[in-house]
Amino acid sequence: MATAGANKRIAKELNEITREPPSGMKVRLVDESNVHKWEIIMDGPASSPYEGGHFKLLLTLPIEYPFKPPILSFQTKIYHPNVSNDDKGSMCLGMLRSDEWKPPNKILAVLNMARNLLVEPNAEDAIETSIAEQYRGDRKAFEKTAKEWTKKYANAK
Amino acid sequence: MAFEPSQEEMAEMQKLSNDYEPEVTGPLVSELLPSSAITTEYANADPVYQRKTAALPHKYSHYRTCRGDGHCGWRAVAFSYYEALYNTGNKSKFYSEEARLRSLGNLLNQVGFPEHLYEDFAIEAFQLLQETAVAMENNDGGAKLLAAFNDESLSMSIITYLKLLTSAYIQTHPDEYSPYMNHGQSVQNYCQSSIEPVMSEIEHVGMSALVEVLVKPAGMAMEILYLDRSQGEEVNTYRWDPVDGTGITVSDPSTLRLLYRPGHYDILYKMEPLPQSAIAQPQQQPPVFVALANAIDSHIPQTIGFSDYAIPGLSFVSPPSLGWSSMTTSTPLYPSAQSPCYDFAPTATPIAAIPAPAPSSNLVSMPQHHANSSGSSAEVGSHVHTHGHSEIHADLNAHGSTHTHALAHSQSHSSHPHTTTYAHTPATMALPPDFLVSGMQPEIPQTPPVGLSLGTPSGLAIDRGGPFRPSAWELKPNFSAAGLGGVPLQTAIFRNSHYNTAHFNNPDFQPEEWSPETELPVHERPRKKSAH
Repeated sequence: MATAGANKRIAKELNEITREPPSGMKVRLVDESNVHKWEIIMDGPASSPYEGGHFKLLLTLPIEYPFKPPILSFQTKIYHPNVSNDDKGSMCLGMLRSDEWKPPNKILAVLNMARNLLVEPNAEDAIETSIAEQYRGDRKAFEKTAKEWTKKYANAK
Repeated sequence: MAFEPSQEEMAEMQKLSNDYEPEVTGPLVSELLPSSAITTEYANADPVYQRKTAALPHKYSHYRTCRGDGHCGWRAVAFSYYEALYNTGNKSKFYSEEARLRSLGNLLNQVGFPEHLYEDFAIEAFQLLQETAVAMENNDGGAKLLAAFNDESLSMSIITYLKLLTSAYIQTHPDEYSPYMNHGQSVQNYCQSSIEPVMSEIEHVGMSALVEVLVKPAGMAMEILYLDRSQGEEVNTYRWDPVDGTGITVSDPSTLRLLYRPGHYDILYKMEPLPQSAIAQPQQQPPVFVALANAIDSHIPQTIGFSDYAIPGLSFVSPPSLGWSSMTTSTPLYPSAQSPCYDFAPTATPIAAIPAPAPSSNLVSMPQHHANSSGSSAEVGSHVHTHGHSEIHADLNAHGSTHTHALAHSQSHSSHPHTTTYAHTPATMALPPDFLVSGMQPEIPQTPPVGLSLGTPSGLAIDRGGPFRPSAWELKPNFSAAGLGGVPLQTAIFRNSHYNTAHFNNPDFQPEEWSPETELPVHERPRKKSAH
């Protein structure tokens, strides 16, 4: 029953998102039989150093969803203060924190937050502190590296 | 210099700390357990806890544990709310509550929760209401609720719904809650950071708002018993009482009880309903009349006891006795204390028995009455005998022969506020109890029993064979015991009935002061009067 309730909500959200996908994103299930893993292709927002890149994200919905937050990770490497620079590429801040998560939050809101973070990184709440340092102190250098990584890993033309 | 972790290491440790979740076990909501288990649990704790937990099982026989997973307070309220609904045994209560909760959608919308955000949770809450109502038919609602609340997802949905309601309530009542915010934090901010997040346990502000929005409007009271290290022999209790539409506290509500130990809530049970009704009843006059038809109710011996005498006296036979009782009760209205008695005294058995309050004491006690009494007493004073008496008699006779209550009521009402009350009381005696209750209620001031303590001392003292000063409470059981075996028209009865300040003829409660000096003169006077 626990999963039934959660699945119902997830199915509903998936339905909403696929019917009206947020701009610059493509959403699909990794595996049609599992609604708990979503694959998102996010386009780098215009006028950000990530412009032109296509970032693959994995959204994992815990079995307790919506009473535990979804887990969002960048599968495409990205140079960003809020995304861990390792093989996980995890993004965990704000509403995604387990102590700040609110069940009424929707996946759409999570994806929009991620996209906004690409436009405007949150250096105050960074997971990669050295990148955050650079973002604050030397914006040019930061943008240069971010662009390079985008070109290198995110298929920017 | 001591080792200082780098910023990364600190962040990592912080993250580990944030992500740490203690292993929690046990059912989300447990079966009913005897609360002596709590005592056992604290047997080796410090003395304060030992004392407090030792006292607990005497009053609260059972409890349920809630899993300490950071939601226990919310869950405890939610569960006990559903359970209290179920315990009303009234199926329609579930439907009316569902309708009420649905209407709270406005509140949620008002603070910016669109329906699509909360509907999933609300639906679960409503569904459980419906399902429990259905389960009630099969008498397995209790099991249904326990199973539902042990379903993590369902239980969390309901909690989430309640959090949203709570948040909406706080945000729509900023004046009430902003004083409790720290450092000028806005109520919105508080709700977003301390109510809505899934991992936020209920705090006092949240509890108070939840009680306001969920518990009280359902006509239920909430008690939280704080088991902590504070001074005292028993747990401290904080109580919220529901009020009805007119702002009057609902009497004898079903009560949700939580046991709070720092950081954790469990659900506590008291064996209902004895203590509740015992507390509520003495304050209400109507039940006194209801009791006329029935046997003695030990809760309020004084009034009931009197009634037992009064019925035969009033409704069957002797008009004199009627007149006597109505007059004597109205005595204090008239400054000339001796007069009311003497007309009736002869018929009303031994004269010494008829206690006439000393004038002085009347005057003294008057200001304590009803506001009317002092005013009208002056006016009425002159025609007390004629008018007051005859009217009462007329009424009484009429009652004997199916005079309607309403008539007697209005008739007497028009002339004197006071005689009204007295006159119509006998009338109501002849009527069915339920009628009395409805009819009398607005008329009789709900006087608390504080003024009871003193009566006419003379008769009493004699009766008991010793001039000690009786308190009403002390007196009543004695009195009612005597009444049971006695013949209705005995001396003692009249004394006692007259003495009884909770007398139905005496809605204003006439506390009289007994002073030993005046005792004798008071005695003498009626004697003389009646003799002539």
